[in-house]
Order: sequence, then structure tokens, then C-alpha cells
Amino acid sequence: MTSLSRLLLATTAVLLGAGAARAADGAEVLDSACGACHAREEGGYDRIDAVRKTPEAWDMTVQRMGRNHGVSLEPEERAAVVRYLADTRGLSVAETEDWRYILEREPVAQDLGPNARMSETCGRCHSYARVALQRRTPEDWRHLVNFHLGQFPTLEYQALARDRDWWGIAQNEIMPFLAETYPLGEAPPAADLDLSGEWPVAGRQPGRGDYAGLLTLTATESGHDAALRLDFADGSSESFTGSGALYGAGEWRASLASPEREIRQVFALKEDGVLEGRWFELGRDVVGGRLTAARAGEGAAPRILGVSPGRLRAGETAEVLVTGVGLTGELQLPEGLTAEILSASDREVKLKLSAPEALGAVSLALGEAAAPEPFVVFGALDRISISPETAISRVGDGGGPIPRTPAQFEAFGWLNGPDGAPSTEDDVFVGRFPAQWRTENFDAAAEAMRDADYAGSIDQNGLFTPGVAGPNPERPMMANNIGNLKVVAEVEDAGRSLQAEAHLYATVQRFVDALIR
Amino acid sequence: MKIRPLSALLGVALALPALSRGEARDYIIAPSRPDKLVVVDTEAMAVDKVIRIKDAGPTPMVPVLSPDAKTVYAIVNRSESVVKIDLESGETLARVDFSTPERRVKALFGMDISPDGSTLAIFQTPVKLGTTHYEVEPTSIAFYDAETLELKREAPSPRQITLMMYSADGAKLYAIGRNLHIFDAQTGEMIEERPIQGWENDKRTPPDVLAVWSQYESSGVMSIPFYSFLLDKEPTDPEAGRTGLFTLDRETGESVMRDVEAMDVFYFSTAVNPAKTRAYGAYNVLQSFDLTTGKPIKRVALPRSYYSVNVSSDGKIVWLSGALSDVAAYDAETLERLGHVDLPEGASISLNSVRLFSRPD
Ligand code: HEC
Ligand code: HEC
Repeated sequence: MTSLSRLLLATTAVLLGAGAARAADGAEVLDSACGACHAREEGGYDRIDAVRKTPEAWDMTVQRMGRNHGVSLEPEERAAVVRYLADTRGLSVAETEDWRYILEREPVAQDLGPNARMSETCGRCHSYARVALQRRTPEDWRHLVNFHLGQFPTLEYQALARDRDWWGIAQNEIMPFLAETYPLGEAPPAADLDLSGEWPVAGRQPGRGDYAGLLTLTATESGHDAALRLDFADGSSESFTGSGALYGAGEWRASLASPEREIRQVFALKEDGVLEGRWFELGRDVVGGRLTAARAGEGAAPRILGVSPGRLRAGETAEVLVTGVGLTGELQLPEGLTAEILSASDREVKLKLSAPEALGAVSLALGEAAAPEPFVVFGALDRISISPETAISRVGDGGGPIPRTPAQFEAFGWLNGPDGAPSTEDDVFVGRFPAQWRTENFDAAAEAMRDADYAGSIDQNGLFTPGVAGPNPERPMMANNIGNLKVVAEVEDAGRSLQAEAHLYATVQRFVDALIR
Repeated sequence: MKIRPLSALLGVALALPALSRGEARDYIIAPSRPDKLVVVDTEAMAVDKVIRIKDAGPTPMVPVLSPDAKTVYAIVNRSESVVKIDLESGETLARVDFSTPERRVKALFGMDISPDGSTLAIFQTPVKLGTTHYEVEPTSIAFYDAETLELKREAPSPRQITLMMYSADGAKLYAIGRNLHIFDAQTGEMIEERPIQGWENDKRTPPDVLAVWSQYESSGVMSIPFYSFLLDKEPTDPEAGRTGLFTLDRETGESVMRDVEAMDVFYFSTAVNPAKTRAYGAYNVLQSFDLTTGKPIKRVALPRSYYSVNVSSDGKIVWLSGALSDVAAYDAETLERLGHVDLPEGASISLNSVRLFSRPD
């Protein structure tokens, strides 16, 4: 384990479930350590019962109580109180739905407030998601905004604040909006479930490709032991073991390691019993993958978790892997698509598919279970795009404590759809395609500074690795290895070369990081 | 620490106009992290004195000189205290801590002393610290006895005030906020307001002003750069973004908002020469402006960023400082770099106000 990952582990260990003490201890810590200042009244603990938030947000608050108010807790006490608070004063998964990217550290996401006023006021130092993932009484929203200006008195002098009556707006517009939009409401009961069992999974790691696999959970006294095996479509596989816990109504957090890397899982347990979310590398959270898992076994509702690859070129034959649970139903194919079943079990069906002609987006099903995404039978792509369209990478390493933050790009293939016009509603997403990747200077200023030569390099999996931190004596004015770049992907398809561009800001380190950015 | 006499750097021909003995000599006083006020002798081009202040961290911020230049006041201690220091001995003569355990009070940027040296006016922003929650309280201007640092009175003021400056006759106190607020210096009552953000709102977006550098002493003219966009131009039009200069003359009370050029670079701050004919702006470039025509004159690139600008008493040298840890001299006419003085220990000046004062030799 590197010293950095040890450090990160120390700061995030609280939510990893490992050794998280039982709920009873959390209640005790709350009473003794927090109750000292937060008096227990009829409505519960002062302030603490006026807010509901995610496990990460509870941990951030408890950390602040330590940093700013001298509340010193042993790591086990901190873990216990955070878990207890998340269990008793958490959000339902539905309440988190639009904002989970910030918990998942999903790099392909846009953080948008409900309007310009809210974004400029409450989404400029941190994500707006940090705000939208909380519920408070009107009075507590007022307290929170007072805390902000009281704690950061220069706030009203910053750009997007000094040009307006910030405190007037905060009191007359922002506080009422927060109170009305994110009212306290009721905490959902903690799920407190035994998740033991085998959970087939399907997903994709951008830059590496689709995977299927198995998540095995075993209930323990304080949470669950977890083992994860991922079998990638490229033939490689990786196995992780570790532990995790279910917080509140359905927040799964776990920490696992393979011989190569440590990862963290941030999943939601959905109402239909499916676990869904993202895992990412500790200290390099851009690298990771989305994942869906469903528990297998007697009585598991038939469900397809993934179909890989999700496309077939007309006139060709492809082996397609369908992953899921309870896959015993009969294969249902649209007309024009024929299949040979190569192997079949209740968790995995291997098909050999062929179609003489392009069909566009069609649906596949096994009995009741429909594939989550349309299957596409296509002749030739109409265009490609790059995801994400805009990305940020950060310099790092170079002897400093902060590692580099890479950026991961993927090339998406598209059909124009029935209207024949590109970039319209009816365009058909065909999937990710291997591409030739390169970077160029974004504009004349970047050209003059030769950003493309210094800012970093992109590999043929679309992973951009930025330069090292610190002044570069080779650059004019000893500039850092920052840059403004165009990322170009070229896809050869049906004898045609298709091209797309994205924008990459290769910038400086993130010096202050938080569990919820 | 390097001591570089300017004459040695420049040779005789380029030497600064020699000041004969008995005349006043310019000094610069620069707050630097974590607890220092560094006095630079501008003629010797050397550090004259380093004053260390107890419990001043992370940095002293706004220094203010008494009219006789014998005493310096400075905001210190996370902007929560003011100290009175004897400039000769470097001794702290008095100190006031604004905050109490129940109430945190910060003095961010605005402080000035009345021309008669009797009163120190300080803009304060308080927050009440409850056991489990904070409450933002209204801002005010606090008037302290400059001799004893006793609080004489407080007057309510708008929020978001940065710089403050007394009128030359001591009757008024000017405060820069979202507009120019003018207070009766005796009663503390706000008697007038002139538009800054409200200026030409039919033509342009509200001017954006970041005015945190007190540096008006050699001219008696406060000067602040501001930025806005013309409403009748496409935002992509290079002429749409405009740089403006606000000036306020403490002698006449006249204030002017003027548009000086297309916004192609930023200035963190500007200062005016004693003749009141030129203004100088600095950040990544040094720029001179003609205040009679309101037009830019000359621009040179700077080897690094400088935040603050002072003009010498004779108007011949522009002193740049701030950000890092040196004070650099530029020819006020040609904008040529003449030399620089490094501050001790490489301690940075950051965003602090750097002041210029004159004292008989
Ligand atoms: C020494 C007194 C003290 C103790 C002990 C203390 N707090 Fe606080 N707490 C404060 C103060 C002061 C504030 C308001 C300022 C702030 O938000 O940082 C606050 C605010 C809060 C808030 C509201 C802030 C928000 O934005 O949600 C919560 C919740 C909270 N504390 C939880 C806790 C918990 C949980 C503990 C025990 C681990 C704890 N506090 C222990 C002093 C204390
Ligand atoms: C000047 C930058 C800044 C702005 C503007 C800002 N925040 Fe914050 N906010 C912070 C910082 C820093 C923290 C972390 C405080 C800590 O825990 O030490 C924070 C924390 C929070 C938290 C988590 C508090 C907790 O303990 O659970 C919420 C919720 C929040 N902000 C909401 C808002 C809202 C609502 C607004 C708009 C009124 C806003 N923020 C504007 C800087 C900002």
C-alpha cells in the first residue's frame, strides 16, 4: 500500500464499514460527545435532529466538529457515530437519485443547480449536489447559510458575490428556496438487511471495456465481507476482497483490494433489490466503472443486468454474453435477428447472433426479463462523439503529495435515426468504439505555449495522463505543465474514418478535497 | 537578504534624483507573513527595519501610518485585532482584540486614520458564535481613539465595504462597497452615496470591483480598476469587455468613474501620482494611464505578478509589490525596471496593502 493510499484510507475509513462499531455505540457517542454542546430537547438533539444527509455528509460534519470545535473522537467512535447518524437521519435512495454522481465521484456528470441564482450562490465553491443532498428545517437552512458567511467572511467579497447584495439575496431568496425545496421531512427507516449471497454483476470500466462478474457478500457482526470478481470482455479478470456496510435506507459503501489496486464501492440498494452504482480506485477516482448487481438464488426475479456487446453489424456474426439472474425464460428476438444458444445457465446466456440487415435499435428479452438497453443492429455508423465532451485533468506527483488526476475519454458511435439528421432526439446510440486518440493545442494561445507537447499524453484506450506538478524549466516563464487541449478521436468504420473532438483542461492540483466535492 | 543600492544598479547617469540631506525620504512598509512589517528605505534600496508583532499570524494585513509617520497601526491576528506600533522602536504600544468567545469580529480591508491623527476608523464584520449555531450580525464602522485604542463609537454601515479613506479635512469618511458610501466622520451617519455598481446600468453590466489595496497616500487620490461589459456589443466582441478606473480625490471629494480601455488584461490594483495626472495599474503587466485624457499610455510585461502599486512622493518611481516577497522599482515615465529589494526570509506579502510614507532624513 502506498503512503498516499494509506492516508486516503485513514480519511475515508469511516465509511468503509471495516470495523464499524454497532449502532448502540453510535447512540452512546452521540449522547456523550455531541450532546455536550447539542442539548437534547423535546424535538431531539439541537441541530442534529434538524437535518438529514448522506453518510459522507455526516462524516464531513463530524470531521468539522473535530477540526473547528475540538470534538476529538477515536476512529471507532467516529465510525460508529457516523453510521448511527446515517442510519437514523439519512436520505431515501429516491431523494438522492439526481445527485448520486457526487457520491460516486462519477467523472462524466454535469453539476447543475435548479437556476442560475442557486448555482452562482451555492454551487460555486462546491458542487450544487452537496446542497441538494441535504434536508433541513427552515431554521436549520438559515443556520447553515449563517454558518457560511460567519465562517468564511470573505465569501461576500468573491466574484459572483461582491457584484450583488449577497447577504440580502441569501436571506430573502436563498433561505426560503432551500427551506421549500429541501424540507426536513421524515427519515426513512434503516434497511438493516442481510445481503449475504451471490450477486452476479455487469458493467463497464471506461477505457477497459465491458465486464461481467460476481459480487459475493457475507454478513458479519458489523457489516458484510465482500468479494468481487470482474471478467472483462477483453479476456482479463480481476478479483477483489474487502468489506462494506449498508448505511441507512440503502447506501452501500465498501472497500476492497485486488493485488493491483484498492477500490471503493458506492452503490445504492434500489427498491427492486438491485445494487447500482460505481466503484473507483482509491486516490485515482477517475478510474473505475459503473455496475449493476442482483442477488441470485431461489425466487430471484428474472433480470438481465447486461448484454455485451450490445450491438451487431449487419451481415456479421457476434458472440454476445447476457448476464443476469433467473435467466430461465425463453429467448425473444425481433424478426431479422437469429440466435444460436452456445450455453445457458440462470446467470449467463451465451448467444451467437447474426442478422442479414440493419434493424436499428431492437429489444432482447429472456422470458419476462428484458435487456436494460436496446440492442443495435447496424450497417455503418453515421457519426461518433467523445464522452465526456469537456474534461479536467490535473498535474500531480513530481515529488509532491498529490497524485496526478487523469482524464478518461471514450468514443461513442451513433446512427442518425429515422429523421436522418445528426444530433437529434431520435439518434441511436450504438455503443463505444475503439479509436485512435491524440491531443492538439486547443487554440493559438495553447499553440504558443506548446501545451500539447507539455501537458501530458493520451493512450490508445483514451486515458489522458497529465504531466508532473511543478514549474517546468523547459517552458516559457517556467510554466507548470498545464494546458488547454483538444482531444481528437478517429474511428475506422465500414471503410470510413469518423472523427470527433472534445475539450480538455489540463490544470493544477486540487489542493483541498472532500468526500462530497 | 540582498541589499542593492539603487545607484550601484543604475550607474550614476540613471541614478534617481538625489535627495539632499534634510529633505523627506520615502519609505515603504510592507506586511509579510506571518508576523512582520518590513520597512524599506527607498533611497538606499535596502531593508531599513523588520518589526515583528506578537500573535499577528497568519499575516498582518492593512498598515496605516499616523500623520507624523511615527506610529503605524496594523490589522493582525486573522483580521481580529489592531495593533499600534512605535515605528522607531518597533514596540507594540497598544492592541485591541475585537473578538470575544461569543462574537467573532473581523476587520477585513478597510482602515484609515483621521488627518489630525486622533481617530482610527475600522470596518468590522461580526458573527455571533452560539453554542451550536452562528448568526451573522450587521456590519459597522468602529471609531477608535488613535492614542489609547479605546472604542469611541460604532456606526452601522452597509456590508461588503473594502477600502476606507478620510477626506483631507477630516469631515468625511469615504468607504468603497458596492457603491461609494460617504459618512459624516463625526456622527458616523451615512450622508451620501454615489454609484459604482449602479454606474451607467443602462449601458453596461454592473462594474465588478475588487478593491482591497489601500495605497492612496502619496497622491491623496484613491484609484480602483473596475470591469464591465457593454450591453450593446456581442460578448465575443473584443471591445465589449471594458476596463474602467474609479478615482476619488480626498482633497476635493470629487469622484470619477471612467472607461479607459478594452478589457484585454486585468489589473489587481492601481495608484495615482502626486500630480494626479497619471495612474498606474499592475498585475501581470504594468500600465500607465493619462488621467487628463482617460487614455492608456504605456504597458510593459512584468517578470511575475505584482498586486500592489505605490507612486513615490516625487512621482518619478512606481513601486510594485504584493504576492511574493519583493518590492520593485519602475521608472514612472518609461516603465523600465530599476531594481528591487527582497524582503527577509522570502516571506510573501500576499494580498496585503503596502504603504508609502515620507520622513525627514
Ligand atoms: C464543542 C461544542 C460542540 C460539540 C461537542 C459538537 N458540536 Fe456540532 N456544532 C457546534 C457548533 C459551534 C456548530 C455550528 C458551527 C458549525 O456548523 O460548524 C455545530 C453544528 C453542528 C451541526 C449543524 C451543522 C450542519 O451544517 O449540519 C451538526 C449536524 C452537528 N454540529 C453535529 C454534531 C455531532 C454529530 C457532534 C458529535 C460528534 C457534534 N456536533 C459535537 C458545536 C459542537
Ligand atoms: C465560499 C465558498 C462557499 C460557498 C459560496 C458556499 N459554500 Fe457551502 N461549504 C463551503 C465549505 C468550505 C464547506 C465545508 C465546511 C466544513 O465542513 O468545514 C461547505 C459546506 C456546505 C454544506 C455541508 C455542511 C454540513 O456540515 O453538512 C452544505 C449543505 C453547504 N455547504 C451548502 C451551501 C449552500 C446552501 C450555499 C449557498 C448559500 C453554499 N453552501 C455556498 C463553502 C461554500
